[in-house]
Parts: sequence; C-alpha cells; structure tokens
Amino acid sequence: MERLLALWVEALAIDEADGSTLRDSLALLEALSLLCPFTELVRLGLYVLPLRGPSRFFGGEEAVMKMASETVRDVTGHETLLGVADGLFCAELAAREQRVVAVGSTDHFRRAQPIEVLGSKDLATTCRRLGLYTVGSFADLESARVGERFSTYALELHRVARGELDELNGQRDLRLASRLGHLRGERETRNEQLGLFGERGASDERAFAAAHRVRRRLGADALLVASLRGGRVPEDRATLVPWGSPIVEEKIGAPWPGRIRSPSPATTLAHPVAVRLHDEHDLPVLLSARGLLSAEPATLLLTHYARRTVCWYAGPWPLVERWWVLGRRRAYVQVVLALGEAVLLVAESGRWWLVGIYD
Amino acid sequence: MFAFSPIRPVLPRDLVTSLRPHTLAKSRVLPLGEPWKALVPGGGLRRGSTVVVEAPAGQGGFSLALSLLTASSAEGHWAGVVGVDDPGVVAMAELGVDLRRVLFVPRPRGEWAESASDLLDGVDVLIVRPPSRAAHGVARKLMDRVRERGTVLIVVSEPGAAWPLPPDLSFVITESRWVTSSRLDARYLRVRIAGRGEAGRASEHVVVLPNRRGQAAAT
Repeated sequence: MERLLALWVEALAIDEADGSTLRDSLALLEALSLLCPFTELVRLGLYVLPLRGPSRFFGGEEAVMKMASETVRDVTGHETLLGVADGLFCAELAAREQRVVAVGSTDHFRRAQPIEVLGSKDLATTCRRLGLYTVGSFADLESARVGERFSTYALELHRVARGELDELNGQRDLRLASRLGHLRGERETRNEQLGLFGERGASDERAFAAAHRVRRRLGADALLVASLRGGRVPEDRATLVPWGSPIVEEKIGAPWPGRIRSPSPATTLAHPVAVRLHDEHDLPVLLSARGLLSAEPATLLLTHYARRTVCWYAGPWPLVERWWVLGRRRAYVQVVLALGEAVLLVAESGRWWLVGIYD
Repeated sequence: MFAFSPIRPVLPRDLVTSLRPHTLAKSRVLPLGEPWKALVPGGGLRRGSTVVVEAPAGQGGFSLALSLLTASSAEGHWAGVVGVDDPGVVAMAELGVDLRRVLFVPRPRGEWAESASDLLDGVDVLIVRPPSRAAHGVARKLMDRVRERGTVLIVVSEPGAAWPLPPDLSFVITESRWVTSSRLDARYLRVRIAGRGEAGRASEHVVVLPNRRGQAAAT
C-alpha cells in the first residue's frame, strides 16, 4: 500500500447550496496539485496525496506537511488536520487523530482502532456483543465465519480490516469528479454517437432515458460505462466510471512494452482475490527477485477447501512499474486448471492474487 | 435523356441491391458477426427473442454472449450488461464491441430483473447473468417484455441454474479446450445451437473464441 498524506478540512466538508464549498475545494485542489500532481479530492473536505515523491523532493515528510497546511491556510483560511498512514482508509483515520503513523506500523494502528470506524452500525453492535471491540479482533475472525454470520458487505469490511483492501466502499465520492469538471467549465464529453446531422439519434435518447431510470432505482453509481486507456495489464487498461461522469479521451495507440498480450480475460476482477499457488510437494510457489518461480505450480488453492489442479502454466511475466514512486513489482502467470478454465494470476509482494478469469 | 434512349445503362448489382427497399423482416433481425453469421439459422438474432447461453462456470459462456454483440454494436445498436460483477472491458474491446454504447449494471443488488426490465426499453441487446436460478414468473415477465419491446435478451446461465423457460435460441457449450504455446493462444469451444422455429434442428459446431487476437472466429 502506498504511504499517503491525508488532509481533513472540516470547514469544507459540508456542501453549501450556493456552491461556495465546491469552488473553495477546487481552488484548494489546484493549489495542492502544485505541491504534488497526484493530489486527489476523495470526498468534500478530504484530500489525499502520495507522500513518497514529494517528501523526497521537499526534503522530508515534515516539510511536506508544513507546506500542505500552509497552503490550506493561505488558500482557504481554514485549519486542517493532517495524518499520514498507508492506504486511504488508514490515512483518513490518521488525519482525524492528527497522527503520523510510522513506516510499517500502519497494521498496528489499524488494528487498534475501535470497530465503529468501519462505518457499519449493524456490524459494530453485533461485534461489541461478541466482545470484539477493535478492528484487529474483527480481522482475526476467519473470513468463512464472517461470511456465515454477516452479509457480503461485511466480508468486504473484513478485508478492509485485514488490510487486503485499502479503502471502504463509500469512502470515495464518485460523482465529485464530474461536479468539479462542470465547475472548471470542461465540456462533458459523453462520447456519444451523433446522428446523421450531428445531433443525438433517437436510439441514443431512448438509451439515456433507460439509463436515468436505472439510476433512479439503484443510485448514481450503479450504472457504469467503460473506456480504455493505455496500460500493460487488463485491470489497468479498463476503467469503469459512473454513467455521466466526464470521460477523458486518451490516445490508446501508444506502445506499452511488456504488455500482457491478447486474448484478455473476459472477467477482470476489480478487487483481486487472494489465492495460493502450491507446487507438487504442497509448498508455496515463490517468485524470486529475478522474476523466476521457485518451482512449477501444481495446485491452486482458491480457499481453504477449494483446491484445483494446475494443468499448464505460462509466464511469469515480470512488471516493474513506476519504480521512482511506487516501486511496484508484479509478475503475471497464466494458468489452465483441470476442468479447462484459464485464469490470470499475479504475484505481488510475496502473495498470489486472482485478477482475471478467461470466462 | 436516358429515359428516352433505348439502351439504358446497366446499374451495378450492389447498387441495385442497396436501392431496393428493406423488408420488414430483415430490419427485425439484429446482425451477427463472425462466426455466428453462418452458423445461426437466419443469420441474425430476431428482435423480441430470448437467447440462452449455457456453460459451466469459467468455460467461455460470457465470452460467447459478448461475441453475439459485436456486429450489432458496430452498427450502432446499444447494449446493456446486467449482473456481471467484473466485466473484462479489454476483452470486449478485443472482440470488437463498441464500448461507447454499452451500459453496465454490475451489481444490481437483488434487483437484477427490475434493472434489466428498465434497461430493456433503451437498449437493443441485453446480456443478463442472474445471480441464481431465476424464478419462473420473473423469467416469464421479462421474456414478455422483451417480445413487446423488440429487444434481444441474452441470458448467461450455468447448467445448475438453467433458465426456467424454453428460449427461442440456445447456445450450449459442451466442451472447451485451450490451445497453448508460450501463452494462452486460442480456445476451441464445441457449441450446440438449438431453438424454436427455423432453428428447430439442433446443430453442433466448433468455434474459436477467443483466438490470438481475442476475437471470435470459425475453425
């Protein structure tokens, strides 16, 4: 997980009807983007920026934090709470406590939090009755037990509690990007097929009407549209955004050396699932620093009980990307299982993840 | 002056066919791409019909359903995908689906039938993957609505949770086999196509889906 600096500006968290909050937020976002171009407005009032690059540039984390709080004071005149931790979820918690979590102790920090921070009242009440008061004690439950007792939503929270996911489901305001785009005066490129004389065709009008109905029924971020951008692996190349948000036109023609070649998996998991890959002696297959496998994979363990024989594999194809900020090292492996299914696996920091199914 | 001259110029054959008015039955059919054009009776998907694609999990059912979209998507028809959690957008692009006209409802939260029937009004082809075996009444209602709106409904199902009503056309994957080299190369699918009306006689074919370029092809 990436080390993040979170800025919580309480005064900008409430959306005023006259749009002043949105304007101030945009001004602050642009000011912070000068500090770090990857600054993100996650939700009204909550800004997040990756810390590693800027702290190297400005000479230390303290310097970046000082500059960030000065920027907020200069631009908006409000005070801000600053926090540093790994991953969006922990970074927000750290900001609310005004804490700088030391490198490597984010896990400890998260586990010590009260169970309520997961944001589910139902779950918190039940867990308190069971004697689980902290996120850590909830994380220690086996995920199968959590699945038996709670809904699938709680399973997602459980993954957050364990640190497998780095953000809560409702933490990010998905429509904020389009609202800010409006404010900037960007023309909404909805990527539409124009009719013969340049207007929308009748079938497009029909589709938009239907899309509005689905949105009314299920909420704003239930209906998605897809677009492609450049990238090496399927999950980087595809973006699914809520319908109606501005789509940035990107040139896809650029070459991406080391790209995973077609065919691509027909199911690309947005949240990879942790799996285990064992060799014929039932020992975990490891990826060496040189990008080689320690042994030939023989079994794929999807859960504790579901183990599948590996018939064939290809790879690994190592990818080292953005080594100057993230230092992200991954290696992809294609695997064919006994019943004829093919899956795409990735090894990252010593663990295997299922990222795609050639469905 | 040609009108009066005894020798009229001969019009090219393709121009004549393009000038001829379209028949109603033809516009009631959505086109199919390779290789289905030659394999499906009628060469297209009749509007108002329900198509079922049945395959065991992970054996190409979703890919097959997507490959039925390609030609109609290229012609500018809208498509919807309901209940598919994590659609492989890159794979869709490789198959030749125009992503600008596809609407996704990945997690309908228990209201898959309702959101499908909402989308039916606006799209021309709708792919639905019910989360479990669909109830008889729900399926009946959805199929009636499809017939009324002139849409094509493609249901992706597994043998354990089959569609409760007989569809107009069904694709059953009976065998899937990967051909590999230093990577996954192509998948050969044995597909049984059956249905009602002119598709009454079941036929079995082997198709390549996806091939090295991620597209569908005949063997």
